[in-house]
Amino acid sequence: MSNPYLPFRAAIIEVRRETAVDFTYRLEADMQVAGGQFVEVSIPGVGEAPISVSDFGDGWIEMTIRRVGRLTNVIHHLRPGNSLFIRGTYGRGFPLERYAGKDLIIAAGGTGLAPVKSLLNRYGGNPGEVKSLTLLAGFKTPADILFRDEIERWRRQHRVEITVDRDDAGGWPGRVGLITGLIAREPISQPENTVVIVVGPPAMMKFSTLEFIKRGIKQENIWVSFERKMCCGIGKCGHCKIDGAYVCLEGPVLNYTTAGRLMD
Amino acid sequence: MLDINTKKLMKNAYRITKHRGITALRVRVLGGGLDAGYLDVIKAIAERFGNGKVHITTRQGFEIPGIPMEKIPGVNRLLAPVIQGLEVEMGVGIADVNGGYPAAGTRNVSACIGNSVCPFANFNTTELAGKIEKLIYPNDFHVKIAVTGCPNDCIKAHMQDIGVIGLVLPVYDPGRCMGCGACVKNCRKVASGALEMVNYKVRRDHRRCLGCGECVLKCPTSAWTRGDQYYRLVIMGRTGKKNPRLARTFLEWVNEGAVLKVIGNMYGYIEKYIDRSLPKEHVGYIVDRTGLPVFSQEVLQGIELGSLGRAAGFIPFGGYTY
Amino acid sequence: MAYWLDMDSFNGILKELSADNVVYAPVKMTGKGAFSGTDLVAYREISGVEQIEFKEKSRFSPKEIVFPITQTLLYFTEEEYAVPGTGEKGIIVFCRPCDVNAFKRLDEIFLRNGGRVDSYYRELREKVRFFVIECAESFDSCFCVSMGTNRADGYDVFIRAAGGGFLCDVRGDLATLFEKFGGPAEMSLRFIEENKTKVSIPESVDQSVFGHGIWREYASRCIACGRCTVSCPTCSCFTMQDIFYEDNPNRGERRRVWASCMIDGFTAMAGGHGFREDHGDRMRFKLMHKISDFRKRFGYNMCVGCGRCDDVCPEYISFARAINRVDALMKEAVENV
Repeated sequence: MSNPYLPFRAAIIEVRRETAVDFTYRLEADMQVAGGQFVEVSIPGVGEAPISVSDFGDGWIEMTIRRVGRLTNVIHHLRPGNSLFIRGTYGRGFPLERYAGKDLIIAAGGTGLAPVKSLLNRYGGNPGEVKSLTLLAGFKTPADILFRDEIERWRRQHRVEITVDRDDAGGWPGRVGLITGLIAREPISQPENTVVIVVGPPAMMKFSTLEFIKRGIKQENIWVSFERKMCCGIGKCGHCKIDGAYVCLEGPVLNYTTAGRLMD
Repeated sequence: MLDINTKKLMKNAYRITKHRGITALRVRVLGGGLDAGYLDVIKAIAERFGNGKVHITTRQGFEIPGIPMEKIPGVNRLLAPVIQGLEVEMGVGIADVNGGYPAAGTRNVSACIGNSVCPFANFNTTELAGKIEKLIYPNDFHVKIAVTGCPNDCIKAHMQDIGVIGLVLPVYDPGRCMGCGACVKNCRKVASGALEMVNYKVRRDHRRCLGCGECVLKCPTSAWTRGDQYYRLVIMGRTGKKNPRLARTFLEWVNEGAVLKVIGNMYGYIEKYIDRSLPKEHVGYIVDRTGLPVFSQEVLQGIELGSLGRAAGFIPFGGYTY
Repeated sequence: MAYWLDMDSFNGILKELSADNVVYAPVKMTGKGAFSGTDLVAYREISGVEQIEFKEKSRFSPKEIVFPITQTLLYFTEEEYAVPGTGEKGIIVFCRPCDVNAFKRLDEIFLRNGGRVDSYYRELREKVRFFVIECAESFDSCFCVSMGTNRADGYDVFIRAAGGGFLCDVRGDLATLFEKFGGPAEMSLRFIEENKTKVSIPESVDQSVFGHGIWREYASRCIACGRCTVSCPTCSCFTMQDIFYEDNPNRGERRRVWASCMIDGFTAMAGGHGFREDHGDRMRFKLMHKISDFRKRFGYNMCVGCGRCDDVCPEYISFARAINRVDALMKEAVENV
């Protein structure tokens, strides 16, 4: 009888520091992944948590992990050669076929950039798949900016706008302000032909989505990625249920026509 | 010509009042609970012999004032069903129910309402009050005893010579625990912080546990259930002019047998050590004179403390003097 | 086939069954109620029919037999992990019709939801045979008739305690055993056809009810203790916990334990953000799951109307009344359109 809770050991091949509290881990793992999906990551004796796959390739996956709790504190002490236990992948990722030939705008807040990283990389390598790609990313402060190297690369491939909520330290040459401000000012030439992905903290997603709707984007052309407490990842534990949906099954990526109607 | 033996009158549970020739009867209400029918008797005495008023005492009895002293025999005859029902039928040895109370020194054993009503109570306080009454009454030694269902101590057992506080040993089944932490939080908030979460399960520090049973009450899964019934005995609390103080723990985690035996032994101790030159001497002052070790040696004779039971070796009674 | 058995013969059957089965039934445990001097009726392993509590409703449901409160998923050492077994024996569960229906709902989640099978649940669930206890009378808080869960199917034995013995309708392979111990009898199954408590389930619930003031009222009453969900035969949420042994921190277990949407922390993500801090929101979430959300996925309601949630609520919140209030609000909303 197959046991869906059994994890497998995956060796850490590489660790990259993104910020003081965010590190990217590349694991040796042969998995079928769609951008936006997640895996359950664990260390026996410490715990298990859902983490979105930020990038993947042949025989490897990457996750960008913020130090926020018991498990991630321990993970942050791991080095290449150590291993993590993982199971998955779970959930539904981004429906790439719906973005083909469209103007795609990705609005990401903070660590919300991680689940869309693979998309940005994919479209960087296959520019013909979408008509255009714009990344609007917001971070709390300049120190919280993730994927600095990749952002520089994406700037050469896509339109990229970065903003920070505040610049306490000073010296940030870029924009300061909420991401909703970027959305409000974003030139959208053909709203009816524009598709949007919004990923980030709950408040950021709510207000960004409303802003896009205000800009004339149709609800069915907006996708969001929900973050919820999940234990099992397979629709059993009940933590991520909202209304008739399980975020781990029907999400985490949901079309706004579904997400917006979920009553919680 | 009024010629009254005040000693006898007082022993009969009447009082010398400020009004010459007028007395007041103190009715014992064992454990503070009685069938409502007895109120008719109280009412009849108050209206026929007293001034129509009834005072409710701090010890849960009724005091019926305004009774002319010469009416005492008539009052006692009317009182007979109360003594019969609340004393004799509880097993208290009283030969003549028509003669009124045979003693007043050892006061009414009071009790909180206990587990017949209260969700916090760990046992039937009325029943134990009855067993104590049976053991110690009638007796002339001035002793105050109260029984309370849990460490909330609603009866103020801490103001008595002997306060009996009901405890329960909580039993934990880790398999039934979902780790909600309700018991841990609550124990910290309302009791002694004897519980902590270790590895998502609860660990109880018995040395800090009051035995209040709050964890059992708060547990949604019955991971905590009631184990054996135990008692804490607090002693020598008092009010008064000399040195008011709260009672302190003498015994904890002992069984009912030990409680009753200690109380019984205490009367032997008083018998042996009371200062007979005084009109009366409260047991607390005797203990002040003899010291706790002498008291302990006397009252712990023949006591099985059991595996959990503990007796205090030293008690810093404290309190204050005016 | 129906049989009549006296107590000794029934125990003869239980004795034979016990060789290959663990038998669970509601048992009254004296003095084990939360309040002193009260008893607890809950599921325990039994060896004789006299141990079974036929009169009172159990405080906890039989779900804990196949979905234990604490269940070890993996034992691990530094190098490897092992999955615990559940033994060879079958499981016999004495329960009432509502609880049999509740198992169907648990099956829906553990065996079907999301297309993956929960192997731990299945391993236990496949061993279960039901011995259904006939409800002679409905308890005051029951509303099984409203929920359509007053009848039970899929049992091996249906039992009526009668005349100091037991009248049993037996299906399947157990008939041989009953024939050996009992005498043939006539039996027509009886189910509860009316409850004192009745509920009316709204066809749908919309945003107007979500924002209604009744949830503020429940917020002020509910203490989020979780008793309703713990006693519920259909609540199936759990949380995973990793523990290490104190005497050897390199070894430990991954467990799952029951979780409750009513209790703090249910939606709390790493870092602390939670989604339903308000107790009224939790009450609404639970209610919606039981009478609407589950139905959206599986076509029938989750709640089986056993009424245990009403029995155990320390704040005297009636779930049945809450359903009826929501229904009334929806009817009002429809009228006002």
